[in-house]
Amino acid sequence: MDQPSPPRIFTPRSAEAPPEQVVGVQLWLRRNLFYSPGSTVFTLLALTFTAMIVWSFVDWAFVKAVWVADSRKECQLTSPGGACWAAIIEWRKGIVYGRYPVEHLWRVNLTFGCLALWLWPMAVPRLAALRPYVLVTTVLLFPFFALPFLSGGARGLVGQAGFALSLMGLVALWSAALAALWPRSGAGRRAAWVLGEGRRIALPLGFVLAFAISWQLALPHVSTNLWGGLFLTLVIAGVGISAALPGGVLLELARRSQMPLIRYTAIVFIEVFRSVPLITVLFMAVTLMPLFLPVSWQLDKLMQAIIGICLFSSAYMAENVRAGLQALPRGQYEAAEALGLGYWQTMGFIILPQGLRLMIPNIVGAFIDMLRDTTLVSIIGLYDFLLMLRAIGHDHTWLGLYVEPLVFGGLVFFVLCYAMSRASARLERKLSRRWDKGGGA
Amino acid sequence: MNTAIPSKGSGGLRALLNQRKSRAVIIQGLFLGALLYTVWFIVSTTAHNLTERNMASGFGFLLQKAGFDISWSILPYDKGTYLQVFFVGIGNTLILSAAGIVATTILGFVVGLARLSRNYIARTLAGIFVEMVRNTPLLLQILFWYIVVFSQLPGPRQSFGVFGLMEFNNRGFYFPAADLTGLVGWLVLAAVLLLIAVLFLWRHDRKRRAQLGRDAVPFRPWRDRALLVLPVVMLAAAAWQAPWDLPRLDGFNFSGGWSVPPSFCAALVALTVNHAAFMAENVRAGVQSVPSGQHEAGFAIGLHPSQRMRRIVIPQALRTIVPPTILTWITLIKNSSLAVAIGYPELISVFMQTSLNQSGRAIEIVVMVMAFYSVVCLAISGGLNLYNRRVQIAER
Repeated sequence: MDQPSPPRIFTPRSAEAPPEQVVGVQLWLRRNLFYSPGSTVFTLLALTFTAMIVWSFVDWAFVKAVWVADSRKECQLTSPGGACWAAIIEWRKGIVYGRYPVEHLWRVNLTFGCLALWLWPMAVPRLAALRPYVLVTTVLLFPFFALPFLSGGARGLVGQAGFALSLMGLVALWSAALAALWPRSGAGRRAAWVLGEGRRIALPLGFVLAFAISWQLALPHVSTNLWGGLFLTLVIAGVGISAALPGGVLLELARRSQMPLIRYTAIVFIEVFRSVPLITVLFMAVTLMPLFLPVSWQLDKLMQAIIGICLFSSAYMAENVRAGLQALPRGQYEAAEALGLGYWQTMGFIILPQGLRLMIPNIVGAFIDMLRDTTLVSIIGLYDFLLMLRAIGHDHTWLGLYVEPLVFGGLVFFVLCYAMSRASARLERKLSRRWDKGGGA
Repeated sequence: MNTAIPSKGSGGLRALLNQRKSRAVIIQGLFLGALLYTVWFIVSTTAHNLTERNMASGFGFLLQKAGFDISWSILPYDKGTYLQVFFVGIGNTLILSAAGIVATTILGFVVGLARLSRNYIARTLAGIFVEMVRNTPLLLQILFWYIVVFSQLPGPRQSFGVFGLMEFNNRGFYFPAADLTGLVGWLVLAAVLLLIAVLFLWRHDRKRRAQLGRDAVPFRPWRDRALLVLPVVMLAAAAWQAPWDLPRLDGFNFSGGWSVPPSFCAALVALTVNHAAFMAENVRAGVQSVPSGQHEAGFAIGLHPSQRMRRIVIPQALRTIVPPTILTWITLIKNSSLAVAIGYPELISVFMQTSLNQSGRAIEIVVMVMAFYSVVCLAISGGLNLYNRRVQIAER
């Protein structure tokens, strides 16, 4: 007890050796592929399996494939175990345009080219301020532009005026884009003048000019039962989303209304259309619409399907609009009220412009969904992309050729949808960053 | 909004329009008028069109003989009435949906966890799978599985057999079937006994917990597991006793046993694969929503990675995973209608196509089919709302 314990001297342990490797291929492999016996076995099995699948696909689709042939028999004789892409190549026009008359295909190409021009400012980061205008003009004006080209034939005074307005919308959009991108250049200055001091002269003059152009534009009518292929799929999806946007906004505003009758009508509409499959809505449109409407108003099948899709997608879009409006801070409503703005002013100038901007990624997502869902119109017999692809197998020269068209169709859909979803994800990241920086409320 | 600025016409129409309450009444009155007019217009036009085309209406046709055959059904059917066709279609839709829901939930979990795996190959393959499935239409996938996979199986003569018990060929999948009709009484009795035992033990535990305090009653896993073993033993005994019917080649086709058509298999696989990809994203998001401190705490108390996942992370992630999963189930039930494209005899196919074409009662049939889907989907989402409310209260 008394005995003092011997003094303990602190001796530091020798420092640990540095880790052998912090970076490098070997370490990465050991960490991500071979970190335990189980993972090693899995990695090896999965690699072998994947390699087998990829190789057999490459072998079928490229190595043994036949690109030039006149019939399925010839394909099978040339190379029995390979894909017969010759059929797709021969049917390429049908797959893209359906039975649209060949001498008028330029009309379809021109329309889609103009749509690309119209949407182009969406993709330019420096033109972010223009995005809501691009969205609104595309939805409200572009259909008036597209219809005279795609369908042709006679159109009323409203159609003429709409076409003229849509031409002006395109010019105005491009002027705004030019003025924002190159404010110093001559073209930019002129564009700014058109939208600025010169608008009193430029706008009426432009309308008269555009109306005159639309007067001159007389194209032969192409019946909608000749429309088909990828073109028809894009038309249905495009019209569907264009109608869904205003429809969804209206439905959501009605659902938030203080008036019980209007609110409950909107709720019932939204809930019913959201709880039934699209195919039942399409069947309803095709079988019931001829009964519900007077004989003199009968619509063709494409129109019936489009109306069904519009009702359906509006109900779904209302949900997206709800999400967009809920993301806005309450202070925005209160500020509008403090300024003494009425309901429509609050919605039109404060809430919807901000909400729409937040909703753009969701709208792109909804468009992708719509593009995929549009294939359902093939079940009611519209010759869309999918049914055109399946028609190849019924053609007597290519009888029984079903696999290659399906694989090709899957690839086309994948490329379209994947590109759009990537773009929208990028946009979403950018938007969320801006919202954080700008300090929400 | 009290903008009742006195003006010349105050007290008149202008004041009425400017007051919120009276304006609401006026707007709703106008809306109601428009709504009623639309309804009246549609009803009268329809009545006119129906008489013009000599078409009958009413639900009386449901008791008429349908007179067509249905290629495969889970419920017994032999050229019965339209009402029977309706229920047979519902049965076929529900069996496909139920099988799809079970398979989707399992595959969705596996793929979702694979996306979070440490193994680079598992992660990447799961990611590619999800992107491929999510970016192509479901209808195309259903056609793909039907045309490229299930129609390419060999014919009945060259059927794949598994020990002579199961047969796979392009006419369908054949399983052995047990004839349990002689044993139904015993099975029901055993089920009732099991139910009574479970109820008794549950009440017993609850009483003891109330007397002794919440943690005093020990968890008795072996007793509970024994209770789970009981029904399995019962089923095994029943299977032992029952006469079995094996599939066998009979001329050009198989007979005997129980079979599902290739269209069922293709639809099931396509629905499962498609919705599992969507569910995998929910699972991934749910697991990622658990704070990393929970993983680390599990690590600190020395749990094995699989234990950490099973006992710490997944139970907490479930709260985030369950609601979107149930929405995926609803979507699956609705999407099972796409099986009509490959000729699977589900509700749309037998009722909205064949029956509608035969009987011409478009309105009645569309209303019935939509009502079925609405009821099922609204019931499930109502249950989901109840669940959400309970979970949210438990959270606070």
